[in-house]
Amino acid sequence: MEQATVDWAKVALSSTLPLTLALAAMASASGLGKAVTAAMEAMGRQPEAAAKIQLAMLLGCALIEALTIYALITVILFGIGFLKV
Amino acid sequence: MTETATPHLPEIPNLITLVAPHLPHRIGHFLHTWEDPIFAFTIVAGVGLLVAIAARKLALVPGRGQALAETVVEGMDQMICGILGKEEGRRYLPFVGTLFVFILSMNLAGLVPGLKSPTSKITMTGALAFCVFCYVQWTGIRRRGIGGYLLHLMGEPQGLFGWLFAPIMFFVEVIGAVVKPVSLAARLFGNIMAEDILLGVFVMLGTLFLAWSHLPVGIPLHLPIIPLVLIFSLVQALVFTLLSTVYIAIVLPHEG
Repeated sequence: MEQATVDWAKVALSSTLPLTLALAAMASASGLGKAVTAAMEAMGRQPEAAAKIQLAMLLGCALIEALTIYALITVILFGIGFLKV
Repeated sequence: MTETATPHLPEIPNLITLVAPHLPHRIGHFLHTWEDPIFAFTIVAGVGLLVAIAARKLALVPGRGQALAETVVEGMDQMICGILGKEEGRRYLPFVGTLFVFILSMNLAGLVPGLKSPTSKITMTGALAFCVFCYVQWTGIRRRGIGGYLLHLMGEPQGLFGWLFAPIMFFVEVIGAVVKPVSLAARLFGNIMAEDILLGVFVMLGTLFLAWSHLPVGIPLHLPIIPLVLIFSLVQALVFTLLSTVYIAIVLPHEG
């Protein structure tokens, strides 16, 4: 069997980067859940203001989602640049 | 599936990647390099043509095209005036409304066979965010004057503690003014690029399914992804627009 060299940098990155992304996704999901819960409660309390509340909820959700997207961009950049996907 | 020379993520072929190999090398290379601006200009021309046709004969009782255009404009008007107030909203509605329609049409172009979303490259979203940055700073300086704008960046200091914290506030506000457009660009770019990659990977899977038969067909495995792409394209265009409006609102002087 030929010598198979192990690139430990690639091993380390390949095992930690997906976990990091999952961590970012978990945190963002928790925050989004809280935001949507608050919006639903407010809408139930005052159905006339539903459209405004929905707009504000959408804005807040996109801001929270953006942080997960930053993590995704970082992981994809690592994959393309360092791991040569 | 076309893949570029460097190992890259799969992407759906568009008109340029299909046509360029058959053209002379220099024209093909030119088309590849300027892929995104070419598609952006095409989309602008297409949308502009549609709206020009719809607005040709403005009637009091609108026909279908005019009604659609009016719905879009009124929707944007409601949203912007809700944030900026009636008269300021009308003043900034052209810029912000154009931003929304432009970004939305560019995002949705990724679903049209043969086209590609220019917003899936950081260069295009960075350019849009740069436009917003320049416009917001210009608005602030024009409405408040340079001195007034610098005072605003220092947090409108009043009294001893205000002026004590003014340098820190100034530093933080300047960093914020730079980081906010960067976050706008990164958010839009990340979302649209992720959608493109999703579509590309699922289409590749679908073609691999039937690759054994050597037929030019595949299973459309990307069908469930299309509603996701539609929703997120709309949401990201909306968020870009709303955040730009909020940044403008922050920088305007208070009434009264």
